[in-house]
Amino acid sequence: MSSSLLAVVNEVRTNKGQPSVEALASSLRWREDLGFESLDLAELTVRIEEKFGVDVFADGIVTTVGEVVRKIEKAGRT
Amino acid sequence: MAQKAQSEELSKDARQPMSKNILITGVSQGLGLAIARAVLAEGCTVSGVSRRLSGHYAALQEKHGSRARFHAFDLSRTDDIKTELFDKFLPLETPLHGLVNNAAVAYDDLVSNLDGARLRALFEVNVFAPMVITKQAIRSMLLHRVAGSLVHISSVSVHTGYKGLAMYASTKGALEAFSKNTAREWGERGIRSNCVVAGFMETAMSGTLTPAQKEKIYQRTALKRATAPGSVAAAVCYLLGEGAASVTGQNLVVDSGTI
Repeated sequence: MSSSLLAVVNEVRTNKGQPSVEALASSLRWREDLGFESLDLAELTVRIEEKFGVDVFADGIVTTVGEVVRKIEKAGRT
Repeated sequence: MAQKAQSEELSKDARQPMSKNILITGVSQGLGLAIARAVLAEGCTVSGVSRRLSGHYAALQEKHGSRARFHAFDLSRTDDIKTELFDKFLPLETPLHGLVNNAAVAYDDLVSNLDGARLRALFEVNVFAPMVITKQAIRSMLLHRVAGSLVHISSVSVHTGYKGLAMYASTKGALEAFSKNTAREWGERGIRSNCVVAGFMETAMSGTLTPAQKEKIYQRTALKRATAPGSVAAAVCYLLGEGAASVTGQNLVVDSGTI
């Protein structure tokens, strides 16, 4: 699952002209550490939904990579 | 299975330059039907939605085959729009290039007679449904990196007062405000949002008006006649197309020149 999520994250980063990241630590913050703005997070949400079948922002704001991973795992799509 | 196959076929077609996929609500009759006809004539695929398949839309399917898609759905069921409309008819993997929020219901009465249940039902179809559909359309456009076009059908009653239309006009005013702000929010992703502000047409929507009332309304226009659905549909096609690539956050008024 983490490699799939990494691919999704890098797709969004590539689309906005940012270099790919090699790994995703759970503690990384989407905005401050990965440089995602609100529209990037919206795109990320849709790409995660397409790949994992879960809307990770549906029930509130998420701040870190780890929070998204937990929501994907909780939805049972690994 | 058949639905999946249809979706895959559409995905292939929709990637061709001249086969944009346009979702249009309220295609069974009146303006929605006219818009579907015009968009099909442009070579696009129409994903049409209304409560039931009308004979008129079935005739379009006969003529245009798989480019005239249809899904029966009652837009008052706003909580089911994702699962029953998008997941079944326009799943995320199916690219969407344009949306025409046309479906609406009428409510003609004096404010002093305002009925809460009717008002809620009115806002459900005329405001909440187009908002939720726009949400899903934008999500599809984000996924496929489509610089799509959102077109909302508004009404001249937002800008010129008519006795009995305060509740109806307020739903269209809400839609105009939604469109303007959507344009601002999503412009940097190339997604455009505009309204076509339509005048009174000879459609079922104005069916409750008496001939005398209609004549009075038409006399308030420069052209002294009803607005032609084909003219409104042409304006919608313009806003959907590349010719309007620099047009967003606007209201295009097509109303026989209401004065």
